[in-house]
Amino acid sequence: MLSIEALREYGADVDEGMHRCMDNEQFYFMLINKILDDSSIEKLEEAIGSENLEAAFEAAHGFKGVLGNLALTPVYKPVSEMTELLRSKEKADYGKYIEEIKIKWAKLKDMCGQ
Amino acid sequence: MEKFRESNGLRRRVLVVDDEMINREILGNILNEHYEVTFAENGRQAYDLLQERDKKYSLILLDLFMPEMDGFEFMEKLKSKGETNSIPVIVMTSEKTAEVKSIKLGAVDFITKPYDMPEVILARCERIIELYEDKSIIRSAEKDGLTGLYSKDFFFEYIRQIENYNQSDSVDAVVFNVERFKLINELHGRVEGDNILCRIADIISQDLEGSLGIGCRVEADTFYVYCYHKDNYDDILELLRQELSELSQIPKVRLRIGVYSNVDKEIRPENWFDRAKAACDRIRGDYTQQISYYSSEQHERELYQERLINDIVKAIADKDLRVFFQPKYDIQSDKPVLKSAEALIRWQHPEFGLISPGDFIPLFESNGLIQRLDNFVWEEAAFRIKTWREKYGVTIPISVNVSRIDIYDPELEEKFIKILDRYELTPNEMMLEITESAYADNANALIGVVKNLREKGFRIEMDDFGSGYSSLNMLTTLPIDVLKMDMKFVRNMNKDEKSMKLVELVLDIAKFLNVPVVAEGVEEESQLSALKKIGCDLVQGYYFSKPVPPDQFERLIEKEVK
Repeated sequence: MLSIEALREYGADVDEGMHRCMDNEQFYFMLINKILDDSSIEKLEEAIGSENLEAAFEAAHGFKGVLGNLALTPVYKPVSEMTELLRSKEKADYGKYIEEIKIKWAKLKDMCGQ
Repeated sequence: MEKFRESNGLRRRVLVVDDEMINREILGNILNEHYEVTFAENGRQAYDLLQERDKKYSLILLDLFMPEMDGFEFMEKLKSKGETNSIPVIVMTSEKTAEVKSIKLGAVDFITKPYDMPEVILARCERIIELYEDKSIIRSAEKDGLTGLYSKDFFFEYIRQIENYNQSDSVDAVVFNVERFKLINELHGRVEGDNILCRIADIISQDLEGSLGIGCRVEADTFYVYCYHKDNYDDILELLRQELSELSQIPKVRLRIGVYSNVDKEIRPENWFDRAKAACDRIRGDYTQQISYYSSEQHERELYQERLINDIVKAIADKDLRVFFQPKYDIQSDKPVLKSAEALIRWQHPEFGLISPGDFIPLFESNGLIQRLDNFVWEEAAFRIKTWREKYGVTIPISVNVSRIDIYDPELEEKFIKILDRYELTPNEMMLEITESAYADNANALIGVVKNLREKGFRIEMDDFGSGYSSLNMLTTLPIDVLKMDMKFVRNMNKDEKSMKLVELVLDIAKFLNVPVVAEGVEEESQLSALKKIGCDLVQGYYFSKPVPPDQFERLIEKEVK
């Protein structure tokens, strides 16, 4: 079951995220639950797999924005770093990033009972 | 304005454009309380929403990276249609490089991602909406709805701004006016009238294009133009003449142009145009001239007139304005007998010396101050009648002028009656002189007023008879008691037979009307004897006496009484 404490422990900047949601806990949780349906990670993984850095950037950029707004820092951070690398089309170990993202993502899902 | 915004309860509509549903939800949640929020998932959807004319958006919050149509393309589309002018766009981005491009495309502000705190977002939205609404209010007040030229207040404000940077260049103030425009509207309809005004405005705008000049429409058919100095305005007049004759079926739309060249920058722009307008007004109805330049003589004359206007109250208080009396003699008895007098105003100005009534009477007639002057003369005349009656035991009736403008004074009768009461006079002791020009102005009004006054017992003298028009027609409808023959008749009577015949004719008319005639301007013995011979009753003129102050007039009474 998702809770403020759990999110805080997870590393989310809960205060910021909550405030952005006008301090409406229910609304904040609802949005977090919604983002779990997001297919950005799959898209990102696929694009990286096929070395389409353009498509990867698009997926990462949009995802980053949403994560940032919800203040889900543990996922936001690697996605943000990845976005910047992709923007300049740098060669990097994107697989490592995706790995990290997936771990944090799984943890979040777990917290939400999914 | 603030109050209006807070109290009118209007919910502005904000369009949020973002492909990420969660971002839309967050913004919607922030904005909902204050705005009506509509969402679009990309630029295309947003653009389609804007085409629905029944909804007016006050603000667009725009994400940049979106599928189908991104934020840049959306702004380009708006810009190409000139629509960013009417709806402000705030771009939501976290990238500095995108900001520059956004600004070029018309974005007015930015919201960073992740989003700022809700308070910041709300404050930005509110500020931008306010700015835009103020701007559009200013825009709508700035221009004349019909012609697109500036409205008067903004015109003068912009002149002041231009002048801040342009103090050294010579500029002109120009006034354009359509002669008898009201008639064009009445005879040919408003649409035709508006067409003409718009065409004039277009030509003025074209003429000003590329220069620092600006134009405005001040009132129905009057345009003001502020521009670099030109030696003449013949070209634009000719252009206007040609264009208007092509545009309109009306045979002749005639324009007047008044120019105040090389304006004096020490005085206010409003005064520049007062001068240009004065030049323009000077040729009203003059079909030989269409352009009139404000001259220094005209300026001097206006200053002089302005001084007179300012000084009149003080002149009455300081007794610089004095009433003189010119006697009228009955010449049909053996020896001329002093019968009555005419009250005439004299102004001994402390600076200008003796001012001719011809300088100030028409001036005060034109601005209504003549009533003050008339009232002063009436009062003074009444006072003298009473004083002399008490002092010498005889009544010398005094004629006073009743100006055209007095005729329209609803309290005219009341004023006279009060004066009579105050000085214990009867109406037949004070005679009222009216001029035939008052008849030409508004015959019915004059007839009504004269009838009422006569019913109250006043006697009416027709002054300057024969100097104007409509004399004969007037005599059949306007009841009068005395005819005063204009002095020109007397002046010419001994010069030739025709002039003499005219004098006889006036006397015949008076005989027909059964009223006495006063001949004015009698200066010579020969004139007097001729008038006596042909039966003229009363005579006024330098032959007997010029207008004199009260103490000298008393000598004339004393001579008579003895």
